[in-house]
Amino acid sequence: MTLLFPSEMIRSELEEIVGEHFISVKDTDKLVYSTDWSWMPQMWLDRGERLPTPDYIVHPGSAEEIAEILLIANKHHIPVVPWGGGSGTQGGALPLFGGILVDTKRMDKIIEIDEKSLTVTAQAGINGQQLEWALNEKGLTLPHYAASSNCATLGGYLAPRGTGTISTKYGKAEDMFLRMQVVLPTGEIIRTAYVPKHAAGPDWARLWLGAEGTFGIITEATMQVDYLPESRLLYAILFDNLSNAIEAGRLMMTRRLEPFVIRLYDPESTRSQVKKVLGYEYEGAYMVIGFDGDADIAALQEKKALEICKGLGARDLGREPGEKWWEHRYDFYYPPKSLHLPWMYGTTETVTTYDKIERLYWAEKKAVEDGFADWNVKFIGHFSHWFHWGVMVYSRFIIEEPPADAQEALQLHNRVWNAAMTAVLENGGMINEHHGVGLKLGRFMRRQYTDAWPFLVRLKKMIDPNGIMNPGKTGF
Amino acid sequence: MDTVPTTENCRYCLMCRHVCPVGHITLLETLTPHGWGLTIESVKRGLLQWNDETVNVLYSCADCGACRANCVTDQPLPDAIAAARAEVTAGQLAPAIVYEIGEMLNQYENPYVKQTPEKVTGTAIVALFVGDEAHHLQPEAVQAARTLIQATGVSPIEIGIGRNNGYIASSLGFPDTARALAQTTLDELRASGARKLLVLSPGDYFAFNQHLIERLGLAWPEEVELVELTTYMNDQLKAGRLALTPLDDIASCAYVDPAHATRVPAGRSAARAILKTVLPIPARELFWRGERAHPVGSTALQFTQPHLADQLTFARLDDVVKSGAQVAITEDAGTLYQLNRHAARFGVRVQGLYELLAEQISN
Repeated sequence: MTLLFPSEMIRSELEEIVGEHFISVKDTDKLVYSTDWSWMPQMWLDRGERLPTPDYIVHPGSAEEIAEILLIANKHHIPVVPWGGGSGTQGGALPLFGGILVDTKRMDKIIEIDEKSLTVTAQAGINGQQLEWALNEKGLTLPHYAASSNCATLGGYLAPRGTGTISTKYGKAEDMFLRMQVVLPTGEIIRTAYVPKHAAGPDWARLWLGAEGTFGIITEATMQVDYLPESRLLYAILFDNLSNAIEAGRLMMTRRLEPFVIRLYDPESTRSQVKKVLGYEYEGAYMVIGFDGDADIAALQEKKALEICKGLGARDLGREPGEKWWEHRYDFYYPPKSLHLPWMYGTTETVTTYDKIERLYWAEKKAVEDGFADWNVKFIGHFSHWFHWGVMVYSRFIIEEPPADAQEALQLHNRVWNAAMTAVLENGGMINEHHGVGLKLGRFMRRQYTDAWPFLVRLKKMIDPNGIMNPGKTGF
Repeated sequence: MDTVPTTENCRYCLMCRHVCPVGHITLLETLTPHGWGLTIESVKRGLLQWNDETVNVLYSCADCGACRANCVTDQPLPDAIAAARAEVTAGQLAPAIVYEIGEMLNQYENPYVKQTPEKVTGTAIVALFVGDEAHHLQPEAVQAARTLIQATGVSPIEIGIGRNNGYIASSLGFPDTARALAQTTLDELRASGARKLLVLSPGDYFAFNQHLIERLGLAWPEEVELVELTTYMNDQLKAGRLALTPLDDIASCAYVDPAHATRVPAGRSAARAILKTVLPIPARELFWRGERAHPVGSTALQFTQPHLADQLTFARLDDVVKSGAQVAITEDAGTLYQLNRHAARFGVRVQGLYELLAEQISN
């Protein structure tokens, strides 16, 4: 591809840093990197429309190379978009204003596995599943079992504050993080403290958790790992109503029974998704619970959890439907089993405390279903990441026959999101629990944080004075 | 076959990224199953055109089958890519080397040497498909296979001697040539009267078991049992019809899953079981093994993208070195040939499985 004079000058500078094999301005690469896993750009391309593309795609091999790239970007005031696996659902990796797309996947080395402290230190571009395989060879596991692990990177686990399937016991990715190396937007390379739990001043290391590349690029991280469990027990139960099911989950958590998973499908999901993927026809709220670790302890925890469930009127479905769910838990994400175009869909996942969660769920469901009944919208959800104080609901809307026109479809998509997020915010919820803010939710950040938002804007200005880092994301 | 649903499904799916060997060595989104699906669909929508750049992308897939083998919904993306390549070749848009190899396949029935396959005469209950890779690149493997089979009391008739099984042709985008090659072998098989066809590699097994039917639309003769030689030998060992003397001393070995291993996992279990009986210490395992096995550069990639093919081979040899092994063992002729080309620079010795076993026959 022939570039204009200034573009070629910048391309040459970037090539000097990363080498000729690690920079591309090819049209095919630009198109492929113009979309991530979010519905909006996928729909746009599906309808034959063009997206903004990066001007340059670079594959740096070190933090030092990234630092040099950022110096160039500052000099020329060019946007920089960090890219890991491109598996985000909120448009966080979209190159909205062109610029330099920094694909971190060349930085994929495991630096150290410490089998005494149970930590792994790796470059941020390593693929999640490949990291997991390497740990498994030593009988270890990074217990961040994200549905996107096959494609996401370690940096991508942390940047949007991801959550995995077994977070209910092991925590979010951010809870496993000990230390990281970051290249600041101004080109300095810094490391956070050796350990995350201390009292040496404010917890500034967490600034890069959830910043989604707007505060710099994570280039390395040390994560806490675990031994592969001796046993994993899965069990399925069915509740007549959602209230009792949520209460059962709350009791398991507040009594600290340590389930590694509580997956509760709402009645609509039980009817549609559970039937489609697992083949079970149940009426009610289908719940899978799991306990792991030493077999005798896990069995006792499971026994106590089942007593709670039975006390709330649950029907015992046995072990097999639970084990089948575990075996097929990611099948939901493979097309055509997954939600897919030309459908319109969005995951309006949210989190709040136990006292508000059910009211929030019904309010959001009503806002979406009543507001868009003309479009025959479906609203489904499951409760899957449980905390001592509350739970996340992974709610989704689906419109199977959206407008054919790309612009009309995008407008409708935004209207549904507005209705859902308004209901969430009015009922004490967060605009998301683990998918990140990206492009999609940026406009809600001011409403989410109200009087604290200007402080965050000032922080961004201080860290990234030229505003080059991932512009248009997380509300900045 | 209608490949549209496949590329529609794969264009935005990232669930097999972790096992794609080309994606792993290039680290480019474009050169992953998602990238290939999106490129093909974008051409259909007028967002891209077939030109040198996009065609180069299309021909960068190794057609190794790792994506489909790891797909929960069994999307036949390699077949869809082959179909797109067929469109490109028909439109005279493919690279010159593709047509050169296509011509070789048309004229000589193999892509390696200007020599037509040997004529087959006679009949037997068991046939051995020799193929082009073993015949032209690793003839000692064929000799060793003969010795091993004869040690079980069977004298097979050899068919397809020097002929491609059709896979390379279809992978390059010449389905008609592929069908003609496969049909000629099927004709030889019928004429031989064989009821069992032994094949030397998972690539050949895939070619007749799945590729022939799904990609070429041909039928496999129901009366003929298709068996990989590794599986056959393991069965013979278990039945006591073949005996092998364990090796006294050998340098540390690693088993390298051959090209197409993920498409035919059963034969790999058999190869590992046989090795267990002859090696004094267990063979080491590579990181990229089993369901995540990555190939060397022995597929059509060796012709269209030799630099990528070499990188795949380097990656396997590096994997052997990292395992701590000094010897790489595998059964597939194409894999052996590619490993041998570069083994010296990694300080690795390459050993054919059949050649190793033929010397240990004790019955």
